Amino acid sequence: MEVNSVTKVFGDIKALDRVTLRVRRGEIYGLLGPNGSGKTTLIRAIVGLIAPKSGTVTVLGRKLPNLDVLREVGYMTQQAALYPGLSVEENLRFFAAINGVESGVKDALEFVDLYARRGSVVSTLSGGMRQRCSLACALVHRPQLLLLDEPTVGVDPQLRVQFWEQFRRMAAGGTTIIVSSHVMDEAERCRRLGLIQYGRLFAEGSPSEVRAQAGTQNLEEAFLKLAGEKVS
Amino acid sequence: MSGHRIAAITRRLLQGFRRDRRTLALLFVAPLIILGLLGYMLRNSSTPAVGVANEDGGPLGAVVASALDQSTKITTTTIAASDGDAKLKDGSIVAYIVFPSDFSQRAQSGVIAPQVHLEGSQPNAAAQALQALQAALATAASNRPGAVRVQPEVSYLYGGPNLDTLDYFGAAAIGLIVFFLVFVVTIVSFLNERSQGTLERLMASPLRRGEIVVGYMIGFTVLALIQSAEVLLFALYVLNVHNEGNVLLIFGIEALMAITAVNLGIFLSMFARTEFQAVQFIPLVIVPQFLLSGILFPVRSEPTWLQYLSDVLPLTYAVNALRDVMVKGADLTWSSLQLDVGVVAAFVVAFVVAGTATLRRRVA
Repeated sequence: MEVNSVTKVFGDIKALDRVTLRVRRGEIYGLLGPNGSGKTTLIRAIVGLIAPKSGTVTVLGRKLPNLDVLREVGYMTQQAALYPGLSVEENLRFFAAINGVESGVKDALEFVDLYARRGSVVSTLSGGMRQRCSLACALVHRPQLLLLDEPTVGVDPQLRVQFWEQFRRMAAGGTTIIVSSHVMDEAERCRRLGLIQYGRLFAEGSPSEVRAQAGTQNLEEAFLKLAGEKVS
Repeated sequence: MSGHRIAAITRRLLQGFRRDRRTLALLFVAPLIILGLLGYMLRNSSTPAVGVANEDGGPLGAVVASALDQSTKITTTTIAASDGDAKLKDGSIVAYIVFPSDFSQRAQSGVIAPQVHLEGSQPNAAAQALQALQAALATAASNRPGAVRVQPEVSYLYGGPNLDTLDYFGAAAIGLIVFFLVFVVTIVSFLNERSQGTLERLMASPLRRGEIVVGYMIGFTVLALIQSAEVLLFALYVLNVHNEGNVLLIFGIEALMAITAVNLGIFLSMFARTEFQAVQFIPLVIVPQFLLSGILFPVRSEPTWLQYLSDVLPLTYAVNALRDVMVKGADLTWSSLQLDVGVVAAFVVAFVVAGTATLRRRVA
């Protein structure tokens, strides 16, 4: 997965400013930045939802926009985007079908521990269950690249640990995961990090490399220090 | 009760509206448009065109004919009786009156018997023509002392004396009801797709935009067809609305209207951000079509510039097609019906293309 010098402008705000990054197969890449920094815009550019003003996005060796490559991409939006009138299983079947697969529903449901609730209508589920269902919908077609936009917002700590365990298992199985977050302790769990502020990717590296770059003890301080130095 | 708390609610409400320009426009501009349209149509509609053929050997025919010319209820043209039916069919007149050769002669013996030929699918226009004739005959009769019996011979090209108001409006009403309800359901549920975030997911999947639009169209069409069948059966067999034509053909036209409404709904959902704004399309999209599509007033009697507007509305053609079939007994060999159905089908295609083209912009 490669993003090459992508710029996106909304009005006179530069949402993405010459962002370049490369993520390898099986890697968990964390996009770290405050609200409004450009994380969501970057993820939407990677799934082809927005066309960049300049620059290119290449996924699995193919340049976007390309509908076929989207078959290999799973996308979990920030809010749980589900059909509230359908049951958990019906939602999964739908997202499987539009990605051209039949099987995998049961596996995905077991993966997020919702198999027992598969018959429940989504509108009756709790927020955390919806979030899990949404994750299941993003990975039901076994994508090679999984994009997660703040998947753990509003998720209780216990569930967050479960989520990350699942992400690690998937990455071990060869799935590339790009996850955005503004929670620093989540960032520690990523193989590599991209720090983003005002649409600019100003630092990259593993959590320890980022700390070393800034010469600080924790990521939060590192972020603030590097952001202060490199983004004016 | 606390005045402060109540004032807070009131203020909050008005503050919200101040930023919602569209709702303000709806509140203060839409009534003027709708009322203006209605007023303009009622005041400036042309009077129905009536043909007059005077074959009377005596003087009375000319007297009544000139009295008809004076009438403000109708616009008269002199025609030959043999051309009358053709003119009724092509819609250039709504009625024609013939004073037969023995008109004066029979009046001498106390019977005034003009022949009235009505087109029959436009009840208001026919009533106006009859009123004008009655007034003209009363003028003529007052010149002629003695007992006189007025005995017009009325014939109908379509329908007949037994058709009531529902028979005329029923045909248009079944189309309008289906169009309206299908439109509202579609626009709101397509909007949901966006507000719940699922449209974003669909756009990030291998789905093509056309597949989304066509899939939606088929789904809603299934519902719309069931509704159309229900409405039609209710109109025909419970309300006993008069029908001259083929029931399947009516159903087909209704279905086409429903598909138009679905695609119009998908297309217009692009221009609404909330369900509230979507509902605002009802006065903007439905009410003018209701007034201008010929449901209440014949399109040809509208002021000329409104006719141009009527001519670009899909409902005008659909209503006309339904009336042709149900009142006049039209079938697909009629060129007017072919035109109406063709135009409605073209609207469907145009809305599918427009809906597909605007889908991407909705997400970004």
